[in-house]
Amino acid sequence: MTATPTPAPKAEVVTPLPRPSSRLERFVRRQGWVVGVALLLGVLVLWRSSQIPAFGAFEVRGIVAGTMTLALLAMAQTVIVISGGIDLSVGAMMVLTNCIAARLMLEQDLGPVVLVAVLVVVVAMLLSGLIGTVAVVSGVPDIVVTLAASFILAGLALIVLDGPGGGTHPRFQELLVGGFDEPLPATLWLAGIFLVVWVPFKRSRLGIATYAVGSDRAAAFLSGLNVGRTRIAAYVLGGFFSGLAGLVTTAFTGSGEPRASIGATATLTSVAAVVLGGVALLGGSGTLLGPMLAAFCLALIPALMLGLGWDPNYAEVARGVIIIVVVMIGGLLQIPRRAR
Amino acid sequence: MTQPLLQTTAVAKTFGPVVALRAVDLSVAPGEVHALLGANGAGKSTLVKILTGVLRNDSGTVAVNGEPVVLHSPTEARARGLAPVYQDPALIRDLTVAQNLRLTGVDPGDVHRELAAMDLDGLDLDEQVRDVPLPFLRMLDLARALVFDPQLLILDEITAALPPDLSERVFAIMTRWKQRDRSVLFISHRLAEVREHCDMCTVLRDGRNVASFHPGQEGGESQIVAAMLGEASAGVRDVARERRAARERDEEEAPRLVVRDLLINRQDAGVSFEVRAGEVLGLAALEGQGQDRLFEILSGNVRAAGGEILVDGQPVAARHPYDAIRRGVVLVPSNRLMALLPQRPIRENIAVPLFNRLRRWGPINAGRERRQVAEAVTRLSIDTRAAAQARRLSGGNQQKLTIGRWLAAGFRTLLLFDPTRGIDVGTKHQIYDLIRELADGGAAIVMFTSELREIGLVCDRAAVLHNGAIVAELPPTASETDLLTAAHGLEVTAV
Repeated sequence: MTATPTPAPKAEVVTPLPRPSSRLERFVRRQGWVVGVALLLGVLVLWRSSQIPAFGAFEVRGIVAGTMTLALLAMAQTVIVISGGIDLSVGAMMVLTNCIAARLMLEQDLGPVVLVAVLVVVVAMLLSGLIGTVAVVSGVPDIVVTLAASFILAGLALIVLDGPGGGTHPRFQELLVGGFDEPLPATLWLAGIFLVVWVPFKRSRLGIATYAVGSDRAAAFLSGLNVGRTRIAAYVLGGFFSGLAGLVTTAFTGSGEPRASIGATATLTSVAAVVLGGVALLGGSGTLLGPMLAAFCLALIPALMLGLGWDPNYAEVARGVIIIVVVMIGGLLQIPRRAR
Repeated sequence: MTQPLLQTTAVAKTFGPVVALRAVDLSVAPGEVHALLGANGAGKSTLVKILTGVLRNDSGTVAVNGEPVVLHSPTEARARGLAPVYQDPALIRDLTVAQNLRLTGVDPGDVHRELAAMDLDGLDLDEQVRDVPLPFLRMLDLARALVFDPQLLILDEITAALPPDLSERVFAIMTRWKQRDRSVLFISHRLAEVREHCDMCTVLRDGRNVASFHPGQEGGESQIVAAMLGEASAGVRDVARERRAARERDEEEAPRLVVRDLLINRQDAGVSFEVRAGEVLGLAALEGQGQDRLFEILSGNVRAAGGEILVDGQPVAARHPYDAIRRGVVLVPSNRLMALLPQRPIRENIAVPLFNRLRRWGPINAGRERRQVAEAVTRLSIDTRAAAQARRLSGGNQQKLTIGRWLAAGFRTLLLFDPTRGIDVGTKHQIYDLIRELADGGAAIVMFTSELREIGLVCDRAAVLHNGAIVAELPPTASETDLLTAAHGLEVTAV
């Protein structure tokens, strides 16, 4: 019994290059979800405006300024989720920065108040970076580290301010969230942060690295990235957003509120906004715009229920149902793609 | 004598109790295409990872151009002139190709030029990686490595995923590199490629380099196979032959499992085979010929692109492993920890597939469960010292447990995927015995093995899978050389 190996046949078949996808296909594939959320938001806004006889600047300001904190927290959560982590302390971070700001800003002039504002954001970035460092260095899962951190931050908030109190400068409030019928400041701030912080970040090497690390840590490492440092950077950026959320709370309410339950609810809602905004909880995909718009959708639902004359308690049920239904529809739409 | 471009001396690496590399001496001269060969698990990929800064060797030295180096990261390796194309594309799926390139500090324009040189400039770099077919990802990875203009290009099984025309382009690059007095370390299971394109080859076995010679020389191929396999399995008890002799084969019996023109991938020719009760069919294949997916399809985990599966003459369209299990078709996968509940005790691991049979609703009959579990444990002689957590069992005992789960639950057709990978010799033989015993008990068994020796030891028949199709059916007495030849897609004459 002998084997005679014959030489491998020479190449004859030519493997065709993959068909390049058109711009439209690519846009639908990459931004489709965001467009969907934007449409949902548009419908909700129209619906809401039809409920109120005189839908104008006052209502718009109410919606934008009132949802700004949630939108900022959703952004904080998004950055960290994209990097492959999850941060259960964003809400507590917001509460803590709110308390620090309210305590230090009480009866101060505008100058020191602005200084405090900058300081508070820097503190939030440092703390969040520290939390990220602990998660990266210890190897303990992000969810555990940040959950523990949320208790610490909530405790610190109560040490800073042992009950509702503190205050801020009225001019600072107007600058950040606008007067009662000025929707512009809040809108501009959100749009500005998106354009000045996120757009350059996403195009930067660090931004691409953040997506890379969230998508596949091993492959990112093999590409020569510093995985740990990238993850920590995502936490720092997340801290920037949650610090801003704390400031906006201070400006919107004009005081500090150390109740831990506020932070916990805000954290969970931020995760909901991330999911609804089309960011994969596994990391590596999604945009900041989706969760930002999703935050507004989530905030509009209770108002709509109220307008319909429903028991506001059902609003939470409706929110939950909407999240599940939307994400389910999105999943169904993506099945044909996976089969490729 | 010229100084070698790359020289490793007694490089060793262990992962906990597993020794991946014992002592590897490898020397690659400038202007040489050097093949690194070895059976699965011989240590090729570990060596590549050490050479590219992904892993650090425990002992031994790596020298580049005569200078000893310690490579801490892939970036450092690239700076030293060692650029790899890994077995799995190191591209991040959620990013576009261009973003991936910028991440590693590579200008997409440079890559585009390299692609153009390979006549692949139609590839759009703004596509997301997840939308680019695998062969082209490999070519992209290659183009990216070329941009670094490495002194040593390391190609880890690049041709395994490539159609012939793209493979030719890779060979052209290798020739070009050689002409520029640079070197290539080429890893492949395709011996024809090695013979044709390599100047030297080094064969690894069990973490050592066992031979280095010119593969193109007369009898080079058989020399490679001999070095890869090691000395013939001396003193090994031939389980199958004993049993086969004792067994009266009833050819009239209807086959238990019939697979007809099953398409693993849409463009394949299709897989067809039959297994009867009491028969062990051995499946031999090189890596990446579709065997993983074939087993997943048979076990109801994945749906086939086409074709038919008949169990006891009835067509099966399993939508879920549960459907297959109900028809008595069970899978023992290669990744044992995937099949087991690693944190749970032996008892629960065996009992989980039983639950469906013991009781549909309400509490589980603890006494009956305990009896069946104890039976399985004794029959398999599982070492129960680490009974509390399956993950603390040794690999061999874990493997027995994955088989044992089905033993207690009962099955008619058993799919074994590389059941002895990473198991010590003694336990291997217990498992061989067990497989024969199960077959004698009336089970039909399909076994894929990456150790060709096992075909002769355990199986009644061998089928060779190549490129998503059964290319040969051989008797169990076929030599390993014949099996390997067929597995390379070559003709086996005079069987």
